[in-house]
Amino acid sequence: MQNVDTINSGYIEKPTNYLTNGYTLKSWLLTKDHKRIAILYLIVISIFFLMGGLYAATIRLELLTPQSDMLETQTYNKVFTQHGILMIFFFLIPSIPAVLGNFFVPIMIGAKDLAFPRINLLSWYLYMIGGVLTLWALMQGGVDTGWTFYAPYSTTFSNSYVTAVGLGIFVNGFSSILTGLNLIVTTHTMRAPGMTWFRLPLFVWALYATSLVMILGTPVIAITILLLAVERLAQIGIFDPAIGGDPILFQHLFWFYSHPAVYIMVLPGMGVISELISNFSRKKIFGYEFIAFSSIAIAVFGFLVWGHHMFVSGQSIYAGLVFSFLTMVVAIPSAIKMFNWTATLYKGSILFDTPMLYALGFLGLFLIGGLTGLFLGSMGLDIHLTDTYFVVAHFHYVMVGGQVIAYLGGIHYWWSKMTGKMYSEFWGKISAMLVFVGFNLTFFPQFILGYQGMPRRYAAYPEEFQVLNIFSTAGASVLGVGLVMPVIYLTHSLIWGKDAPANPWLLPGLEWRIPSPPPTENFETTPIVTWEAYDFTEESGLDLESARNKNKVTV
Amino acid sequence: MATHADVHDHYHPPGLQHQFEDMGQQQESASIGMWMFLVQEIMFFGGLFTVYLVFRSKYPMAFAAGSNHLDVAWGAGNTVVLIVSSLTMALAVHYAQLGKRMAQVVCIILTMILGTMFLGVKSIEYAAKYNDGIVPVTGLNRRTAVSHEAGTYSLPSDPNMQRNQSLDAPASVEQNKGVSGEQHGAEKEHVYVNPTGSFIWEDISLAQLAEKGNFLTSAEKIGYYTNGQLDPHKFRDKVRIFYWIYFVMTGLHALHMIIGLGLMAWLLWKAWLGTFTADYYSPVEMSGLYWHFVDIVWIFLFPLLYLLGRHFAGGH
Amino acid sequence: MQNTSWVPFFPEQASTFAWQVDGLYLYLILISVFFTVLIFAGLLVFGIKYREREKYATGAEIHGSIGLETFWSIIPFIISMTIFLGGAIVYYNQQRMPDDATEIFVVGKQWMWKIQHGTGQREINELHVPVGRKIKLTMTTEDVLHDFSIPAFRTKFDVVPGRYTTTWFEATKPGKYHLFCAEYCGLNHSGMGGYVYVMEQRDFDNWLSGNVSGQTPVEAGNDLFNNKLGCASCHQQNDQGRGPNLAGIFGKDVRLTGGQIVKADDEYIRNSILNPQGQIVEGYQPIMPTFKGQITEEQLVQLIAYIKSLGGNSIEGTTTRTTTTTNTNTSGGNNMNSNSGTGGSTIRVPLPERGAANNRQGSNPNAPDITSEPTNRQR
Repeated sequence: MQNVDTINSGYIEKPTNYLTNGYTLKSWLLTKDHKRIAILYLIVISIFFLMGGLYAATIRLELLTPQSDMLETQTYNKVFTQHGILMIFFFLIPSIPAVLGNFFVPIMIGAKDLAFPRINLLSWYLYMIGGVLTLWALMQGGVDTGWTFYAPYSTTFSNSYVTAVGLGIFVNGFSSILTGLNLIVTTHTMRAPGMTWFRLPLFVWALYATSLVMILGTPVIAITILLLAVERLAQIGIFDPAIGGDPILFQHLFWFYSHPAVYIMVLPGMGVISELISNFSRKKIFGYEFIAFSSIAIAVFGFLVWGHHMFVSGQSIYAGLVFSFLTMVVAIPSAIKMFNWTATLYKGSILFDTPMLYALGFLGLFLIGGLTGLFLGSMGLDIHLTDTYFVVAHFHYVMVGGQVIAYLGGIHYWWSKMTGKMYSEFWGKISAMLVFVGFNLTFFPQFILGYQGMPRRYAAYPEEFQVLNIFSTAGASVLGVGLVMPVIYLTHSLIWGKDAPANPWLLPGLEWRIPSPPPTENFETTPIVTWEAYDFTEESGLDLESARNKNKVTV
Repeated sequence: MATHADVHDHYHPPGLQHQFEDMGQQQESASIGMWMFLVQEIMFFGGLFTVYLVFRSKYPMAFAAGSNHLDVAWGAGNTVVLIVSSLTMALAVHYAQLGKRMAQVVCIILTMILGTMFLGVKSIEYAAKYNDGIVPVTGLNRRTAVSHEAGTYSLPSDPNMQRNQSLDAPASVEQNKGVSGEQHGAEKEHVYVNPTGSFIWEDISLAQLAEKGNFLTSAEKIGYYTNGQLDPHKFRDKVRIFYWIYFVMTGLHALHMIIGLGLMAWLLWKAWLGTFTADYYSPVEMSGLYWHFVDIVWIFLFPLLYLLGRHFAGGH
Repeated sequence: MQNTSWVPFFPEQASTFAWQVDGLYLYLILISVFFTVLIFAGLLVFGIKYREREKYATGAEIHGSIGLETFWSIIPFIISMTIFLGGAIVYYNQQRMPDDATEIFVVGKQWMWKIQHGTGQREINELHVPVGRKIKLTMTTEDVLHDFSIPAFRTKFDVVPGRYTTTWFEATKPGKYHLFCAEYCGLNHSGMGGYVYVMEQRDFDNWLSGNVSGQTPVEAGNDLFNNKLGCASCHQQNDQGRGPNLAGIFGKDVRLTGGQIVKADDEYIRNSILNPQGQIVEGYQPIMPTFKGQITEEQLVQLIAYIKSLGGNSIEGTTTRTTTTTNTNTSGGNNMNSNSGTGGSTIRVPLPERGAANNRQGSNPNAPDITSEPTNRQR
């Protein structure tokens, strides 16, 4: 809320932006400004990420030795379960849509806000309620079912707080649904004049596809978890075979959401990467339509492949064949994206700033993550590889190598816009490289461990696996340092960082045409878009020619 | 933001929110948003329908037995009530579009009355289930102490009972005192012998019929038999699954009805104040979409739960 | 081949599937290396060649190319279809049961594998099979999901409660191979495993007729207790097991459920192994399976000798575990079970949710032959 003084006084040199528009706690907690809500998300999500990271560190330390000597087996089981739950439901799924999407989708399409600001705030509160419930359950004693909650262990045998955590995830799911709903409607109706569908930045396309998955998939996990909780409280026998239930049904329902959930996590990452690759090559992206439609294709086909998690669970061989075939098909859109990104670099003018380093890191890691996905989608090989460390390595390459790296890239890319401050480029580059090296050292050995046959979720393992586990733990410490560094230098930049210009890299996107940080209603007047996405020519109104000349003169 | 009017000095119709340019955009957003929400709802109920289909195809006889025990008359009546309420809702939208205040108000009130009637019937049905001991959650059925005169309970060796007894021991003792003391005399024609409030089902006639006719599926045989014999306890467990699905589905549907009634109350207040005009009626329209959706869910629930399997003889 | 310090890239190939799976794996590695090199080379070459040479210079105006897009959609599709077909064939080979296989029954149970041969021999956490004969495993479980996994055979299949799953293999190389449970099954998941012994037919016949070893009774009993019969998974030395701690118990008085006190002598131990339900130590659930029929008289003697040898509070040679009690994160768990007579109160797993807690106990694993639907839990 602007108060009378700021409006009437003449001595304020800076115009009010969304950060200076009210300083009270209430002005934050009851805000309907999508940018402020994004910042609220950013803070809470970072806390969950650090907690999940601490759990990860504990896991790696325990696995340093073959015996379960640092943790009791029971504690270890809880630690890896809670690592999974916090990371997946409270970090990976909401991070890019709720932070970067919330902040930038309205700006990138030239809107003042999301279509439903109040629902946006509601979804943050739902996220908080879900998070608090889950944390409460973790304080009470935690949960030890694995993040997959497989029945009948979760319904009948586990003596941990399954119901409370399930309720937390249930509530959190509605936060995700509402965010998706908001983004879809916003993309449909709030685009500025001239901002046609094929002028949208690919980040918006990616989030649109993600939101479709959120809306179609999340309700199913919600009802599944509800059934799980009722089953657990009342022992009805829907999933428990002892009274006629079907534990495989649970797996079907669970993966019907949880496989598409993988795309909820990685599609926004792909959107960020499209932005970064194109903008930092100062060049139109190669094959815009193909990248845009491949996002939609991934979202659609992603719903038809859940059975590849169940090749050895006793589903029929023909179902397995269909799921394996579709899994191969869903790999194609990802391959198309990969080739297009690489081709975009061709004849570009490439900047190697921190966000671009993350983007290139993404290309390498996601490539390996995707290719190893083919190993697991190939049924004969999956028999040997499933439930081993190969799976662990694969999905970390996709989730961390894909989503987390893209998220970090996006945070660095838009940091100046979000906060109005510049972070240290030097430390940014160092940390990007540490993350890349540490990540590979942590997870590449796990591919070999997996093929060796080391099962996942083992607190104690046979001695011959120790050497590779030591490598992995060593890598995890490098990765840990790489991930903590941004927290430090980004926080540092908030106070001591240089003020950011509106457009530090001279990029054509709408978000770079408004001040940093943006004013409360984003645009003074509704923009009229006359240029394609990633257009660096004069048509976009960017005067790069004079910038070049000016630069020559000063040099 | 309260200050948006100061920032933008162009004309703002009442009801236009600050983030929108014009009413058309707001209307379209609300409409797409509502449809997306309904898609979400379809997936939500879709999960339940999947569960229903899986178990129905697995244990058709148990489902038929459970289904036959539901009261079709109440269910059919409720279906009519809901369909009529959809009509009044549609009329409310119609009158809102025309800007007729009183007609809107009347239609909304009618819709609310019909919705409440539906919930009333539903609670009568639930109460009957409670009295019959077929609420699938132990402890949520009518409890009565075992009376000596009426000691004809036929499943004394039921391990389920024992388990529940040990679980609920303190609660049931207390409960039993109250119930047996006050109601023992009044329960002459209906003797409830269910000290733990657990699920009771003794009628296995449909399974026997199917066994005689030799049309039990192999999954059913696995599900109902112990050592090659039809086992009443195991059959009961499958009927219990039916009732569990029945309660979750109708319960969630009723919850949606209650939310709908809340929406109606809000609409009624707004309509009474004359908020909705020919230019601004999207809240009525959106609530109408929601109401129709809840109605449609029931249109699916009624045949699946009440009617399927009724052609088998036996039951009630 | 014994690998203790370093890991090779492949586990041993000890079944007829191993080469198929490894071949497919190599094919995929080849493809992966090709694409990785391609993309990395692209990134490297473009990155160097087209780095920013002048500040604010723009790249070339290229929109895309339908030809290229088609090319790199179709080529990966064709390659992925070869992967699909290869995987499907290998999978089909593993899933289609041969007619002439010897059947072995496997029952999973938290946290042990119970195996019964067609000839009547029973094993726990061990599987002896002859080389060069097709073996079909018919599997089920008494409680939660498990997964029977033998990496050296490249075989693995979920074990699902309430239904039978099958898999098969033909071992090709004598040796001792890991057997794992690969589907998370609760507390001691990582301890649920053992070894598969592949033997020449002659040795296998010997084994079938009762194996001979040169151990002392105490050593043999130690082996039985900690490895072969898996007693140690419940009778842990730290009072955290599901069964009483047996260290130092011999000759002492034991308090049973119902208040009766008996002396832990030879006869008591023998009866407890053969008829565990007869004498339940106070504070423990009647969950121990009977070992009648699985254990010879000679082995009984060895076990008793071993239990006699356990003085003090620790058992030599068992898996060492820190005995810190972890109840810090569990407020409000009710301590259901008290100690069994070896001193110190036993802190049990907390039971925050009622229904689940009740069902968790009381499985009755007497009969490894499962009826059509597991009715073994008291409900």
